Parts: sequence; structure tokens; C-alpha cells
Amino acid sequence: MSQRSKRKLGITLTSVLATALVLSACGGNNAGNNTGGNTPAANNTASNSANTGSEGQSGVDTSQEVKLKMVLLGAKPADYDQVFGEMNKILKEKINATIEAEFLAWSDWGQKYPLKFAANEDFDIIYTSNWAQYSDQATKGGFLELTDDLLSKYAPQTWAAMPKVKWDQARIEGKVYMIPSNKANEFTDKLVLIRDDLREKYGLEPVNSPETYAAYLKAVAKNEKAMTPYGLESAETTNHNLDKLLLIQKNNWKEFSGLPFSVKTTDEKAQVFNMYETPEFDQLLTYYKDLADNGGWSRNALTTKGSTTDDFKVGKVASMTHNVTALGGVLADAQKAHPDWKLALVDLSPESNKSAAISTQNGMAVHATSKNAERALMALDLFQNDKQLHDLAMYGVAGVNFTPEGDDKFTKTDKYGNYNSFSNWAWTSTLDRVDSNYPQVAQDVEKLWAGKVYNYKLESFVFDKTKVVNEVANVGNVMMRYLVPLEYGLIKDLDKGKADLIKQMKAAGSDKIQAELQAQIDAFLAQQK
Amino acid sequence: MRERKHQFWHDVVKNRTLLLMLAPAVLLFFLFSYIPMSGIVIAFKRFDYVGGVFGSPWAGLDNFKFFFESGDAWRVTRNTVLYNLGFIVLSNLIPMLTAILLFEVGGKWFRKITQSLLFLPYFISWVVVGSIAYSFFAFDVGTINGILKWVGMEPIDIYNTPSYWPVILLLVHTWKSLGYGTVMYLAAITSIDREMYEAADMDGANVFQRIRSVTIPNLYPTVIILVLLAIGNIFQGDFGMFYNMVGNNGLLFSSTDVIDTFVFRLLMGSNEIGMSAAAGVYQSVLGFITILLANYAVRRYDKERALF
Repeated sequence: MSQRSKRKLGITLTSVLATALVLSACGGNNAGNNTGGNTPAANNTASNSANTGSEGQSGVDTSQEVKLKMVLLGAKPADYDQVFGEMNKILKEKINATIEAEFLAWSDWGQKYPLKFAANEDFDIIYTSNWAQYSDQATKGGFLELTDDLLSKYAPQTWAAMPKVKWDQARIEGKVYMIPSNKANEFTDKLVLIRDDLREKYGLEPVNSPETYAAYLKAVAKNEKAMTPYGLESAETTNHNLDKLLLIQKNNWKEFSGLPFSVKTTDEKAQVFNMYETPEFDQLLTYYKDLADNGGWSRNALTTKGSTTDDFKVGKVASMTHNVTALGGVLADAQKAHPDWKLALVDLSPESNKSAAISTQNGMAVHATSKNAERALMALDLFQNDKQLHDLAMYGVAGVNFTPEGDDKFTKTDKYGNYNSFSNWAWTSTLDRVDSNYPQVAQDVEKLWAGKVYNYKLESFVFDKTKVVNEVANVGNVMMRYLVPLEYGLIKDLDKGKADLIKQMKAAGSDKIQAELQAQIDAFLAQQK
Repeated sequence: MRERKHQFWHDVVKNRTLLLMLAPAVLLFFLFSYIPMSGIVIAFKRFDYVGGVFGSPWAGLDNFKFFFESGDAWRVTRNTVLYNLGFIVLSNLIPMLTAILLFEVGGKWFRKITQSLLFLPYFISWVVVGSIAYSFFAFDVGTINGILKWVGMEPIDIYNTPSYWPVILLLVHTWKSLGYGTVMYLAAITSIDREMYEAADMDGANVFQRIRSVTIPNLYPTVIILVLLAIGNIFQGDFGMFYNMVGNNGLLFSSTDVIDTFVFRLLMGSNEIGMSAAAGVYQSVLGFITILLANYAVRRYDKERALF
């Protein structure tokens, strides 16, 4: 090879490498920017009602076998083939359909979920919830509207079993888009789980209020060097994890997730106010600062990369927050692994009203462009109301993943986790079994709270952000940037930090959101009268 | 006119082999770069599933508003550009030096092994790098504070101090891209005409003189191509890097927020495709202008070396 051509080769190689670099960079960016695919016109109402032909038992033609595609959240269960195989046998026999499920992992479902709709992928049934973009996708036309006719014809058992109020809670601008799970009482209120043995060790008073809780956290920080007193539920929020307990629940407020606003649940007129401009917040801020300065939580709170649940179970974290169901589970697991621990579930505001989850907490929706909408509804009907199928779908194969006890109880086997790894709470119903190992303390809490459930008109109100998307996005960003560090005690001067926060929120348009929110609430209440 | 047409076909037939070789590249470019460009319309629409990309109602410039109304537009744009300038300088200069050193040190085995070792970080995902960084920098359990405490110094609070981060990010980026750049520059050095070195030796040049007068001037074209290409992306923040290193740590935003992380954070909750597209268009247009200016500057200086 001559010198000249060798040199050419060198330059070519360089260019190729450089181009590759540029191309790979482009690839990365495009993923973020060009999220819209070609979407054929989606249809909002059931366009493909059943052909009248040979009629099945419920008066619906099921002569043609269909495969229903279902999208769920969570990890694909290890025993997927076995359990779904069994389920499909039943479905095949009863409605001549089989189900194929796809799972969106917990780590990135938030990004993938909207893409399923944007790209108009071929699927029939999808998990949804008020925390999983229910109102977002419904207003964008992603779900099939479930009219009374459709439901009573294709999901008759559910139609009969579901209390009317649950359908009403699922309405978006008067229309239903999901079959909500039909569970009696599910509480969204949060509690703290603590190591009562540590509390006794340091001779502290029983934890039952924010003050006693702070004393407990500080004692742990002082004496247990290897432990983090309070473990964060999630670092990816726009406020402190304890706000829900110490600000909202304590004062009987209603929150609007991601927004700085609140309404007193007892306020007939439902006056909207900014939580972070109240004296209650000022007090809480000093409380937080004191905890932070005394090592109540990690200095890396904002960047934490561990799992608090796991850390609690191995004794690295001395307290965590969550709802009663989740903490009950953690408590049972931790107690099993460490019989010498004494664990306690504590309600930090026992005097407050309790709020039960509204029906949109969990549910299943039908894709707007599903070709088998009727069959999808029929399948969902069976998921909630066919005992055999419900057991499979909730707990897995009897004798393998769980052991049934009578008709309404069960115990987990070692292989319980091989099936229960995803959002199968979507079809909880009156047929649910109770885990006989579910700790008594958690059951006691639920029993106690059941008597304190407070229903109010605004309960099922959903804020439609369409008119103020810009402001909502910007205020959320301000909260992340100014509120979160302030609450975790990372800003020295509280007054200045708070003044900055309020100023930035105003600049980001919080007043406009507040006005819009108030207007929508007023309209909602007027409609209810 | 006919003459010219005839001439055109004549050229096509004459260069058919070359044109055939060019075809796949043109086709791919058309498929993956030009056709998707029509998606830019999304930036000017209020996207809904019913209408799809082309049927959704027009929104004018509404989608661009969120970015400029946030009051952070200037800060994140400045951060993006400054970081990228830093990356361009460091990820050309240091690989170039490394390549020259490796070339001069010689020793085939040494060169190959060093090259491979330097290349390794390139393959580590940013997610993993983020976790490694966390175990280095964490306040209570981090390696760095462990060492500081061991030698009796006060621990430093890295994750809550914005001023450390530009340095950290520049270092990490350089560490990760060093191997790739080194290979590129080694290839360029290898292709320099041997005779020039022989001539330099005859004239009695020592190693340093040889590097300064032969190697470096011969690397100019490569540097210019690479820099020009990088400048086109100067408004695009490396999302994987910034997001995994910093995450949602609000305290650090003042010095680490780039356009991409900022837009991601603002729009994560709302799924407004139109707005994310608007941000993308903003970046691309600014990038396009910058590359035109840079190319113009290079042309003024030396016509031969400009990209176009």
C-alpha cells in the first residue's frame, strides 16, 4: 500500500468514526424528542359492536376465537406461563378468548405508557389509575368510553356488583373510561413504621405524634451510627415525603398531586390556598430543619439511590412511610426475618379524618382502537367475578403460589413472589382473599380507620390541566428546585429560602393555576348540587 | 438543453459504480434524517391521538412558551453551551495528547493494551457510572469522604454543593470519552506521511520539535472536522450523563441543569409531545445556526478545511 493511499485510509477511518459518533448522539436525542408516531384516527366510542351471528350464552357472538393483548405495570412474573396458561384455559372455555400480557417495568413505565397510545400500538386492555395517567389519557382519547349499555351488556356481573358511587368516581367529564377495582376500603393515608425495640432501648415515650416521632428519629441518629433514621419513600417528588402525613393528613387537607395547592376537606366553599404560604408550613419547616440538623435523614436525601424497603428489612433504616397495606407487608416480612425486632405502625395524626381511596386508585381500561372491545369487557368481567379466574389472577396457581384457606383466606408460599410482581391489584373485588399472615396491627388500623372515613364532595374531583400546562410544569420545577432542598433542611436560612420559593412560584405562574383550579372546583361543586 | 440532459445520463452511466456505492448512504439518510423532519410540525400543534401527527389542531407558538416563560431558559441554555464547549476542548485536547504520547512511546503491546484499557469506560452505561459516582461522592458512605476522614480532614458535602459539579462532570466526561478520541487521533497520526518524519530526523529535530512541527500541524484537518461536527450539537445536552449523575437533586440545578434535563423534568408529568418537540426544534435551529457560523469562520481562515 502506498503512503498516499494509506493516508487516505486514515482520514476515511477518522471520518467514519466521527460520523458514527454523531449518529449515535442523534439517536439518543431523537428518542427524547420525536415521540409521536403515525397515529391513525382513533375512535372514541365503540365502533365495532358485535356482529349478530350465532349467539353465545350471554347473547354475544363469541364464535370467533380472539387473542386479547393486555398491558400491565410491573415485572413480568417468573411463573407467567403457568398462571396465564391456567387463566387462558378458563377464558377459552367461557368466552373463547385468550390473553397475552405485556409488562411495563416499574423503572420506566412512566415513559413507555404514553408511547403505547401515541404510537397507537395494538393492544386491547391496559392498566390505569389516577396515579397512572387515567385522566391524561382519557382526555387525549386513548381509552374507549364505557357507556352504561356497553357495561351492562358485556360486563353484567361487574355492572351488578359495583356500587354506583365507584362508577361516578371514575367519571371524567361525565364519562367512564375504566372498570375500577371493586375493593371495599383501601386507604391512601400514610403511616410510619418504626422499630419499637429501639424506642424502648432508649427509654422514649411511645411514638404517637410528630414530636414523639422526632424524638425517636433523633435518638436513633445519635445512638445508631450505622443506621439512617428516616428512609425516603422516593427521592423523585416535588415535596418532602412526610408532607403528606404532617401537613396534609394532619390538617385534614386535600392535596392535588404535584401542585402546591390544597383545600380544607371540611370547607363547604372549597377555598383553594397555597400550602406553602400557611403558618402550618412555617411550623413544619422548623420541625424539618431541627430533624435535618440532628441527622434525621441522610445528607444525600436528594440523590439517594437505594431501596428504603430493602434497607428497612435488613436494619439499615429505622423508619419509613407508606400506606397501611404496603407497610403491613413490610412489617410481616421484617418480623419473619428478625423475630427479635419489635415493630410498630404509627398514625402520626390519629385525630384526623381518614380518606378511603376513590375507585380510580386501580382499574383496567379498554384501548380506544381495540378491535375486540366486547370480548375485552367480558374478560374483565370474569377477572373480577369468576372465583376460579379471580383466584388465579390475584394469587397465582393454588398450591404453587399460594395456599387457599377456606373461601376468603390464603397464605403465601415461597413462590408467591413468582407471580405477584405486577399490578394485579387492578381487578381486586369482593372475591378477594385475606392473607392470614397480614399482621393484626395493620388489620386493626384498617378497622379503626373504617369508622373514621370521611366522604366529601370534592373527593373525586380531577383537575384538568389543559389550560395551564405551562404553569403546572414550571411550578413543579420550582418545587423541585426550591421546596425540596428547603424541606430536607439543606438550606441554612429558612426565611430566605421560603421567600425565594414563594417568589419563584409566583413567577412560574402559580396564581394562574390557583384561579383555574378554583374555577374548576366551583363548577364541579355547582354541578353536584 | 438536450445536450445537457444527454451529458447528465452520460455522467450517471460513467460513474455508476460510485453512485451505486453512494446509494445506501443517501437512502438511509433520507429515511432516518429527512423524512422524520416532517415531524417538526408537532412542535406547532396541540397533539392528540385522534388527530395524530398531521391532523391535530394547530397551536401556533404556544408550545414554545413554557420554555421561555419558565425564566430558566437563559440559564439552561448557557449551561448547555458552556458544558459542551468544555467537553469539546477537553475531549479533543486530551485524547490528542494521549495519542501523541502513545505513538511516540511505541512498543506495540504497550500501545494496544493501554488503548483497550482507555476504551473500556466508553462501554459503561451512564446509569452504572451514576451509581459508581454515588459511592464515591456520598456524604456518609462515600469513598472520598472516607479518605478525608481517614487523613483527619473535614468531610465535604458534594451532593449539596453546586460549585463542585462542573469540574466533576468535565472530569467524568473526559474519562469516559478518552479512549474513543484516542483511537481516532491515533488513526490520524498513523496516516501521516512517514517521509516527513524521516526528513525531520535528517534535519536533526528532537522529539518535541518533531511533535510540534510535524505531528500537530498534520492533525489540524482532523481537529477541525471533529470540532465542527461537535459544534452542531452544542445546544444538545448529554441527557444520559446529566440525568444519571445529578438526577432530581434540586440543589444542584443552578450549575448542572441543561436543556435536555430541564425539558425532561418539566414535561415528564404532562406528556405534552408538542412541547418536547418544540424544545427539540429550538435546540436544532440554534445548533444549525452555530454550525453555519463556525463553518463560515473556518472558510474565512482556510477554504480547504471547511466542511462545506
